[in-house]
Amino acid sequence: MIDVDHATKDYGPVRAVDDVSFRIAAGEIVGFLGPNGAGKSTLLKMMSTWLAPSAGAIRIDGHDTVKEPLAVRRVLGYLTEHNALYDGMRVDRFLRFCGGARGLSGARLQERLDWVVQACTLGAVLGKRVNQCSKGFRQRIGVASALLHDPKVILLDEPTHGLDPLQVVAFREFIRGLRPGRAVLFSSHILNEVVTISDRVLMINHGRLLADVPVGELHARAKQAGTDVERVILDVVTAAQPAGAAR
Amino acid sequence: MSAANRLSAGQFLAGVRHVAAREVGAAFDGAVAYVYLIAFVVLSNSIFMNEFFLGGRAEMRAFFELMPLLLAFFLPAVTMRLLAEERRQRTLELLLTLPIVPLQAVLGKYAAALVLLLLFMAGSLPVVAMLTALGDPDPGLIVSGYLGLFLLGAMFLAFGLFLSSLSQDQIVAFVTSTLLGFAFVLTGEDRVVAVLDGLWPAAGVGTLLYESFSVAPHYRALVGGAVTLPALLYFGLFSALFLWLCALVLQRQRA
Repeated sequence: MIDVDHATKDYGPVRAVDDVSFRIAAGEIVGFLGPNGAGKSTLLKMMSTWLAPSAGAIRIDGHDTVKEPLAVRRVLGYLTEHNALYDGMRVDRFLRFCGGARGLSGARLQERLDWVVQACTLGAVLGKRVNQCSKGFRQRIGVASALLHDPKVILLDEPTHGLDPLQVVAFREFIRGLRPGRAVLFSSHILNEVVTISDRVLMINHGRLLADVPVGELHARAKQAGTDVERVILDVVTAAQPAGAAR
Repeated sequence: MSAANRLSAGQFLAGVRHVAAREVGAAFDGAVAYVYLIAFVVLSNSIFMNEFFLGGRAEMRAFFELMPLLLAFFLPAVTMRLLAEERRQRTLELLLTLPIVPLQAVLGKYAAALVLLLLFMAGSLPVVAMLTALGDPDPGLIVSGYLGLFLLGAMFLAFGLFLSSLSQDQIVAFVTSTLLGFAFVLTGEDRVVAVLDGLWPAAGVGTLLYESFSVAPHYRALVGGAVTLPALLYFGLFSALFLWLCALVLQRQRA
């Protein structure tokens, strides 16, 4: 469903993403791990069609993000890096706008609205303006707008940012529930979060994909070494760090 | 192009309508649109009433003649936030990763701005009613005057929207749009034309700008009751050019 093929992104002389390739199939939840500035958000922006790769290609559900951006956007649910929302709009109107722009109308729009409002527990804030909502609610509004059209591919950039611990636990369950038939890729810089939710972990730093490891394998390695998974991840990143990567 | 990437005419228009409806709602959610509207209507009507009582003629020519400078100031206040604010708040990424193309976003925002322009214009309808009650104004002149006013405003909105797409600072968008608006208007003033011609007589810059750039000859033709093809083409093509450039700016930001 997601096929990233030697994707590269240059901002002038700075290479933000450097020759990254991976695939994600339907039914997989993949965590994108890396420190701030590693290139996670740039890669997600390219996958969302917001940015075009400088080289390489990205296909979402078989559609090229540069040649067929509309087809990509139709199957994609995307939570942006800063979760920018229309602050002055009422939450229900904002969700209706997103649904309408995605081609939903009438009973189908109402059905999907009811679902995301219940799934993201937004009932209490539907009549409020977005800028009157807490950070946690704003995050859930962003997730709700990304899931409104029942997308096949879901990209979430730092989805748990701003959520309290209880909300993070609920969010993990929620994401797991999205698994059937969908490819989910979410970014985070919190090791534990990624390991807990994902089937696979993609580790990125300095724009380069350092490792693509199943979480089961990380657990096995940790057990074998008598240490914890977080230590194993750090070892993987250290071992895979390309010479002269620190720019 | 694959079928999944196609956009039917119905889908295109629906996208434009959704963006326009959001923009109109956003404009009237706060007090800003009401303030603009009231200020414009009060200012334009009061200036005209002064001219009307001095001249004592039941016609709207004086009203239409003061409009270019007023619109050059007021309409950038409408367009300045349309895209600059989306950039500043980073909502442009949200908007343009929805399944709409940049041209739909541009036309939606433009349609919303046109709605505001029509409301500005509607604010002068009491003047029409008053003139009709007091005298016998030429309805043809009034209709062609309003057509000129609409086309002029539509062109100002188009370049205002384009300049708003180039910046994330509303003030920059407002100032540049106002300056360009004044340039379009003032290059039609006789004294400005004479001064510019005098700077470099051989080139005749003032006359050249008046004939090829200024809104004045085309707007005056419409206000004078002559709905000419050159006037319609001038306003239509300039508006289309700026809207196309605006869509191009949004398209190019992906690179």
